[in-house]
Formats: sequence, C-alpha cells, structure tokens
Amino acid sequence: MAEAAADSSNSAVDGGGSNVQNDYPTIDPTSFDVVLCGTGLPESVLAAACAAVGKTVLHVDPSPFYGSLYSSIPLSSLTSFLSPEASPPTSSAAAAASDSRTVVDLHRRSVYSDVETSGTVPEPARRFTVDMVGPRVLYCADEAVDLLLRSGGSHHVEFKSVEGGSLLYWEGCLYPVPDSRQAIFKDTTLKLKEKNILFRFFKLVQAHIAAASASSDETGQGDASTKIPEEDLDLPFVEFLKKQGLPPKMRAVVLYAIAMVDYDQDGADPCDKLTTTREGIQTIALYSSSIGRFANAEGAFIYPMYGHAELPQAFCRCAAVKGALYVLRMPVVALLMDEEKKHFLGARLASGQDILCQQLIIDASYKIPTLDVPFDGSDSWKVVRGVCIISKSVKQGSSNVLVIFPPKSLEEQQVAAVRLLQLSSNLAVCPPGMFISYLSTPCTDVSAGKQSIKKAIDTLFSPQASDGSEGHFETTNESTEDVKPTLIWSCLYVQEITQGTSGSLLSCPMPDEYLDYRNVLGSTKKLFASIYPDEEFLPKKSAPVYADDASDSAE
Amino acid sequence: MATRRRMLLKVIILGDSGVGKTSLMNQYVNNRFSNQYKATIGADFLTKEVQIDDRLFTLQIWDTAGQERFQSLGVAFYRGADCCVLVYDVNVSKSFEKLNNWREEFLIQASPSDPENFPFVVLGNKIDVDGGNSRTVSEKKAKAWCASKGNIPYFETSAKEGFNVEAAFECIARNAVKNEPEEDMYLPDTIDVGGAGRQQRSSGCEC
Repeated sequence: MAEAAADSSNSAVDGGGSNVQNDYPTIDPTSFDVVLCGTGLPESVLAAACAAVGKTVLHVDPSPFYGSLYSSIPLSSLTSFLSPEASPPTSSAAAAASDSRTVVDLHRRSVYSDVETSGTVPEPARRFTVDMVGPRVLYCADEAVDLLLRSGGSHHVEFKSVEGGSLLYWEGCLYPVPDSRQAIFKDTTLKLKEKNILFRFFKLVQAHIAAASASSDETGQGDASTKIPEEDLDLPFVEFLKKQGLPPKMRAVVLYAIAMVDYDQDGADPCDKLTTTREGIQTIALYSSSIGRFANAEGAFIYPMYGHAELPQAFCRCAAVKGALYVLRMPVVALLMDEEKKHFLGARLASGQDILCQQLIIDASYKIPTLDVPFDGSDSWKVVRGVCIISKSVKQGSSNVLVIFPPKSLEEQQVAAVRLLQLSSNLAVCPPGMFISYLSTPCTDVSAGKQSIKKAIDTLFSPQASDGSEGHFETTNESTEDVKPTLIWSCLYVQEITQGTSGSLLSCPMPDEYLDYRNVLGSTKKLFASIYPDEEFLPKKSAPVYADDASDSAE
Repeated sequence: MATRRRMLLKVIILGDSGVGKTSLMNQYVNNRFSNQYKATIGADFLTKEVQIDDRLFTLQIWDTAGQERFQSLGVAFYRGADCCVLVYDVNVSKSFEKLNNWREEFLIQASPSDPENFPFVVLGNKIDVDGGNSRTVSEKKAKAWCASKGNIPYFETSAKEGFNVEAAFECIARNAVKNEPEEDMYLPDTIDVGGAGRQQRSSGCEC
C-alpha cells in the first residue's frame, strides 16, 4: 500500500524506536465526538481539552513519534524531515464513493523549503535533538505553563532556566540585557545616565502594571495617577520610549530584547505595523512576572528538558488519561463529507477504515480540502530558521543563553530582529561539550531573511578550519575567552506559517515566528471555543487526582 | 538534589492491553480490585511509600493510560524509569510472546546507560482464572525466558486475589533502588513548576 511506504520512511526519523507494523490495526469503536490528525502542540492541547470535558477522542498521527510540526527529532533525521518524499498519489476517492458520503482526498503541503546545510554532522548524531519550533522558550508566567499545571501535564515535563539571560548585539558587541531593576543595578556596561533613565522607565512601567492589575482585580479604582495615560498607551511604543528619553540603545533593549518586537520600529515605512505601548507593556508585564515566579528559576525563561516535543506529549498523555484513544503510524488518507459536500462527517484511515465524528481537526501540514476556493496561500507568511552546532558557549560560564540582534544591527538591509537561543547539554539535547543554537527571523523576502541569519552566524561563530583540524589548536597563549565558538554544522531552512482556521474542519496553527507559544495557544483556545462554546477550556479540575500524598513535588 | 532523586523511584508497567497492569497497581497501592474491565481511564500514576532497609522511598508507578493499545506510548513516558515491570496474562500466549517486544521497545525508547543491567521484573498475572485450568503459558517457560534475558526476577500473581502482589512490588522497589541513576548532572536544578507557591515576587529592588 502506498501509505505504508510513506510510513516506513517516517520510521527512519524515529530511528526504529517502534516495531514496524505491516498491517494497520482496526480501531474500535468507529465513531467519536472528535477525531484529530497530527500530534503537534495545538492538536494535543485540543485533544486534552476535549477529553477533559468528556468528549470521546480519537487522536492519530502518521508518524511513529509525537509532535508533527512541533517535533523534536534526532539531528540525523533532520534533512529527511525537512524534505519528505513526495507523498504518493492516492486514489481513495475514486476507489470508494459510498452512497451517502463523498470522499475527499487529503494531501500534505510542503511546509519547509530552501534547506541549506553545511559542515559535518557531528557524532553521535542521535544524541542531538533538534526542535522544529526553535528558537523557542516559555515565560515562567505564561499561558503554556498555566495550561500544563491545569491539565496535570506538568508531571510529565521538566524545565530548566535559560540561566545565562539575554544578550543584545549592538554596534558590534554583545551586552547583557538589563531586564529588571536589579539587573540594571548590577550592570557594568551601562553609563550612570543610562541606568537612571532605565530605572525611571522600569519604575513607571511597574507602577502602571501594579495600578492596572489592582483596578482590574477589585474595586475598579486603582491609583489612576500611576497609570500611563490612555493616549500614551495607544502611541507606537517606540514613540513612547522616545518621550521617556530613552536613547537608541536603551530603546533597542526595551523593544527587541524585552518586548520581543520583531520588525523595525524606527523604519521609515509608516505602513509597517508598529507595536503600541499597550502591547509592549503587556509583554513587559509578562516578562517581569516571570522573573521570580519559580523559586529556583533564573531569569524569565524556561526550556523543556529533552526538547519542545515533550510538551505535546504531556498534553497527549493528559488526554489519554481522560480516555482519548491514541494511534501512531496511522495516516488519514481522505475525509468524508456529506453528499452536498457541506459538512465533514469523518475520516478514512490508511487502513481503509472509515471513522465517523462530529468534529475533525487536522494539523497544518495538510491542505484544507476546501471545495470551491482552492487554498491560495495569501494568508501565509514565512520564517527563516537556523540550527547550528557549536563547540562552546557564546557567553563564557553560561549554558543557555538568548541573543537578540535588533533590526539593522547586522546590516542596513536587516528588516527584522534575529533571535538566537543557545542550549547546552544540561537540557539533554546534545552531548556534553557541545551546544545547539537556534536562530530565526520572520521574512517576506526569503533571501534577505536568510542573509540576516547568515550574518548573525558569521558574527558569533568562526567557521571550522578547512583542513579539518576543527580549529582547536590554539598555538598562542591568548586568553581563549576571545575565541569565537567554532561552527561545526549548520542548517538553514524556510518555514511557511499559516494560522488556524475554524469551521466544519479545524486546521491548527503552525509554529509561528515568536519566541513563545502565546500566539499559538491563543489561536488554539479560540478553536476550542468555536467547537464547544459552552465548555471551559482545560478547567482546573481536569488534572487527575492522585493518591493522597504529593510525592511528586517532594524536594 | 541527588537525594530527591533517590527518594523518588519511577516504575513503569508495560504489557499488552488487558493483562491487568492497572489492576496490579490498584491492588498494590489501594488494595482494591474491580472485575469491570475498561481500558485504562483516569489513572496517571499511583504512589506508595515503601521502606527498604530502613530508608523511605516513594514508589511512583506509571500506568500506560491505554496508549499501549496501539503501541503509541511516546518517548517521554519512558524517560527516567528506575525499573520496568513487564506483565503478561498466563492465560493468553500472545501476551507472553509480546514481552520481548515490550522489553526491546523499552530499551530503545528509554535508552538506559547500561541496558544489560537495567532492572526489569516480569509478572505472570491472572493465575486465579478458572482455577489455573485455562493457563497456556507454563511457569517453566516463563522462567526460561526470564533466565535468557539476564535473570529477570519472575513472579506469578493474581491482582484479583492479591496473591503475590506485595512480594512482587517489594522486589520491584528493591531493584529500582539498586538502579544507579545515570549521570544526572542535569537533575538538580530543574524547575519545579508544580510547586509554584510564590507568584509575583517583585522583580527588582526598591531603590
């Protein structure tokens, strides 16, 4: 069978972690409230949310592993994941048009393009785990963490801090990002005047956040005098920062390294969407409430040990505990519709079995078989991602570090910020002595986006010596602190991004260009509300209750 | 730190659907048995305090949550296990034959640092059924397989009658304790998001 061939090519990615099946199992029962195809984060959260409110759920994935577009895969499998063999044409529609249903073939689209690798794959390649969503972290105080806690998924993931904090690339040098008043106080690179300006700014923002949360909490009458006036909140954030007297470097710190803005805010092009003060302050509020949320977390960001694919797995486990049925290695080949082709009735599995359901949800790697209007891609945009294996940390003494290259910092043509996340072996994603760095920048022009990423790589890393000596032989006794990390291997690629769509068939959002999951989970929440408007999204009580002790939180 | 790790022992139970994995857990932890079979719903893991040679441990026993039915347990499930319990039904030959697959699956997915010496325990369950008359896998055959895989401890149990369950789990716990943790250089400073008691600490000094 054609699909079986596609399946076994996927098992190469898995590295033979599962017994290859020659025949597909039969699923019983044959009718569910919800059928999901793909185990990316949005689908997995939806599965957990549906199961938590008592819906019957079937969750399938064509691959032998969890994660879909949100996978973490061995380095050795990355290129085959990025360029999957074209799926063979299926003809299930013609084969079996039953009386009252129409069968519509389901096709995948190519999500990745412009793959470029260089260097020698380091060994053992299987010990490097590559996120398809990188660079990405969680804020300690963000929605993803809350969902994990509410669903019970937090039992299945362990996190570590991005303990090295953030660095800003500015005028050819890397500076620590003063992201809190404490950090400003300790900073040794800022001038006194800069410290004062930043202090004042943080104080202002903190007072506003405190007043705003007080007024929303209870009486509705916080101390209005400490709030930032409404008209300022509607200003472009960059204008507000100028009004507060922040010099360019401090503006870059706040805009790109704390508020995590992507596009150039000083750009001459006024039709670019500018971040408002309100939006900027929202992120700063999240940032500052993340610092210190967990006793032993350093900084605002945490990263899931073993990679980001642990997150969908945690939610799938929660769904399974609530009764969802899981079938990996099971492609969906076609969708079933009613005679008028108005409603989706179910899915045809690779086994030939038809499963009926109230609601179908597919991951974004499938084309939505809309009937009249073909998918035109007008809604999509792109992100360039890079994965680098390097020999030492970009910041001495730190394991996990975030680096921000604001727009125009690398070259005049750089339209968007480039973010780089360096991860170490303490996250179990690579062997000791090595580091993985993820880079990304959103783009409309692929070659310009790639150019920015390459510039960032060239700036931080030195190429491997061409004689294969790995550049390790420093003959001089110069301090090795100044030696750039050696780039051992790299891969650049472009990922298309589409947003989730609701309707009779839900398509989930793709991994986006942001550093966190706020946007993805926001869309996911909306999708859930569109199918079950009266149900709560992962209510608190949905976490399973355990035997009387709380040993899992034992110190 | 390391002590935390040593106090908490993660045990996972593998085996075909319907062999009694959940029942064994329930009998051991809650001394309860239900004749009503439903593919596992509602159990994530159960915990029980155990004392071994004057030391207290928390045994955390993980159920498959039904994800074993279509061999769809994710790699995350296997991580950090200190002991793997393989269960089959002595009345169903196929469930015995599949033990080898489950063992291999575990070794591949969990990739323990020393696979040769990783502690497994095998349980032949449901020996009470039909007074033993419907039995299709002999104790001898099971023991021979266990011996061939590096002398895996073997117990015949009845979750329904509570027979041998306590003894089996004591052996499981002892073996889990013996399992030397891998270089857990990274374990000490993981963030305990579940124990988040103190939210909204001020992020800066007030000066």
